Amino acid sequence: MSGPLQHAVVGSAVAQATFGPLDREDLRRYAEASGDLNPLHLDPAFAQRAGFEDVIVHGMLGMALLGRLLTDAFPTLKLQRFRTRFCSVIPVGRPIVCAAKLAAWHGAVAEIVLTAAPLGGPVSIEGTAMLALPGSG
Amino acid sequence: MAIDRQFIGFRLAPFTVTVDGAKLRQFSAAIGLHGTGPLPTYLKVIEGEGNSSRKILAALGVELSHVLHAEQEFEYHADFHSGDALTVERTVSDIYERKGGQLEFIVVDSVIRHAGGELVGRTQQVILVRHPTPVVAA
Repeated sequence: MSGPLQHAVVGSAVAQATFGPLDREDLRRYAEASGDLNPLHLDPAFAQRAGFEDVIVHGMLGMALLGRLLTDAFPTLKLQRFRTRFCSVIPVGRPIVCAAKLAAWHGAVAEIVLTAAPLGGPVSIEGTAMLALPGSG
Repeated sequence: MAIDRQFIGFRLAPFTVTVDGAKLRQFSAAIGLHGTGPLPTYLKVIEGEGNSSRKILAALGVELSHVLHAEQEFEYHADFHSGDALTVERTVSDIYERKGGQLEFIVVDSVIRHAGGELVGRTQQVILVRHPTPVVAA
C-alpha cells in the first residue's frame, strides 16, 4: 500500500501499520525519554482521580507512531507540517492502528490525512501531514 | 477557577538546548525504532527541556489532573543534529473557553532556531483544561 505516492489515487489509503499494544512499562520508557512525566501516564491512582480507568497513553506517543507511519512509508519525502488533534484517549494494552490517506495534492506537496485508533475502538487521533516530493523545495 | 487572561502573551525566558545523541537514541527506542531515523515529534522534547508545558501550567495556576493534550502541530524548516545548540522561545499565545467556561484551552507557541538564527521549526500545543462541574444547589 505504500508504493510511490505519486501513483496513488486521491482519497485512497496510502499506508497502514499496527503498533503496540503498549503496556505501562512502554509508557514509563516514553515518559523518561520524552521528559513528559505527567502522572496521568504513570500512576493509576492519579489517572483515576483525573476520571480515567487506568493510565492512558501519551498523546505525543500516539503522534510519534503516526510519525513513524509517515517516515517508514515515505522515507524520501520531506515532511513540512504535521498536526494532530487528540479526540479521545488511547487506553493501555490495546494495539494501535495507524492509517494514512492521500487527501489532495498542492503542487508537489501531498496532503495526507491520518488516524490512530485502538484496535476495534473509536479514532483517538486525527491528523494531517504535508509531504513534499524530493527536489520540490 | 478560570485562568487569568492576563497570561495571553506570556513569554517564557528563551533557553538553549544542546541536542544530545544519547537522548535521541533513547527517544527512538521508546517509540519502537531500532537505530536512528527521523523523529518528527522530537521538537516537543527539545522545547520541554527548558520550559516544559507542566512548568507553564504551574505558572498559570492550572491543576495538572485537569489537563489533557488537545492538539499539537509542527512546522519544519531546517534539520538539526546531535550536538547542535537550539534556542527555544515559548509563548502562551491564546486562552479561550468553551461550554460556558467548563472547558478552557491554552495555546502555547514555540519557535526553535539554530544558534545562528536559522529557523528550525515552530510548534503549537493546545492544552485542554477540564474544570470540575460546579455543584449546583437544589
